[in-house]
Amino acid sequence: MALDTFPETVTLRDGSTAVLTPLQPSCSGALLAFYRALPEEDRLVLKDDVTTGDWAEGFLRKVETREVISLVAKSGGKVVGEATLYRTLHGWTRHVGEIRVTVAPAFRRRGLATALASAQVKIATDLGIEKIIVQVVDNQLAARRTFEKLGFHKDAILPHHVMDVAGTKRDLIIMANDVSQIWAAMEAANQDYAPHLG
Amino acid sequence: MAKTEIRVGGLGGQGVILCGSIIGKAAAIHGGKQATLIQAFGPEARGSACSAQVMISDEPIGYPYVKHPDILVIMSQDAFTQFLPQLKPGGLVLYERDLVDPRGVPEGMRCLGVPATRFAEELGRRLVLNIVMVGFFAGITGLVSIQAVERAVLDSVPRGTEDLNMRALRKGYDYGRAQSTLIS
Repeated sequence: MALDTFPETVTLRDGSTAVLTPLQPSCSGALLAFYRALPEEDRLVLKDDVTTGDWAEGFLRKVETREVISLVAKSGGKVVGEATLYRTLHGWTRHVGEIRVTVAPAFRRRGLATALASAQVKIATDLGIEKIIVQVVDNQLAARRTFEKLGFHKDAILPHHVMDVAGTKRDLIIMANDVSQIWAAMEAANQDYAPHLG
Repeated sequence: MAKTEIRVGGLGGQGVILCGSIIGKAAAIHGGKQATLIQAFGPEARGSACSAQVMISDEPIGYPYVKHPDILVIMSQDAFTQFLPQLKPGGLVLYERDLVDPRGVPEGMRCLGVPATRFAEELGRRLVLNIVMVGFFAGITGLVSIQAVERAVLDSVPRGTEDLNMRALRKGYDYGRAQSTLIS
């Protein structure tokens, strides 16, 4: 249900296109190549060491169990971006999902991250996830703006929680989108009652 | 002068008024026609009888009240029982197939059902059953184009719900198109 609208072609700001498609096992090599080509500084903000075959194997296993939903963006046969929705299938945060988005440097500032993030928000909503979070570092202004446009707001700040390659400690911001509120608004639109009309 | 009178009926909370409002917006704002909407609520917000009167015309509408509808869009048994006697001879009943038993429709009147609730649940939210009904209405009657209805839905639903609502609309519309041959 959530993935039946893919593959989806998106037009970027410069008129070029990319195809968003769920990650297939056959695509793991291309995904690994994408991550290995990222600048080291970019990889530092990722939670996992995404350059190893072990990571790719483990990631694919989670994709198979639907613990993670991975969308890759392809252009010219190459992976140029990836967005992952992480969710817990049991426990007290089973209503929460986390989105992580990574885009190749050459495809930044062209709207690809927004397209990937937006697609994952829709998928999360379809899956019944009620709260979506993202983690951004305080100086990732473009990323923060992207998620704000998608309805995310600051939920928490962890001061000096991350350290960049130069050893500078920065605040980690947890942004959240309470998707359940979206459907509460739809319920309100459907309530068929307008007290102000008497 | 082509004028079509429509009564949408159901229970509070099913989105009866929104359904009528979207049909009217599609016709008037996005379809280049004239339309009026009158809404009626029961004494309680949820679960009580509720209906909307929609009139669509090529000419300005002087009298917006629907007394004898050409089309009924029905989402509850009570609404079916209440409004069927008002339907014009040769009129059309579009009903939610799992919530309404359409027995008693007089000969000469056309009657088509859609499992809107089931479709909405399959899409992930029962809440969008009214949007499935809007799509079914558009697919069957052709009174408003799918493009006009799409724009009206996008104008009317909360931000963040557009995608699922559009899929609900398309589901009802496709089902309606497939069934429309039955009434032609």
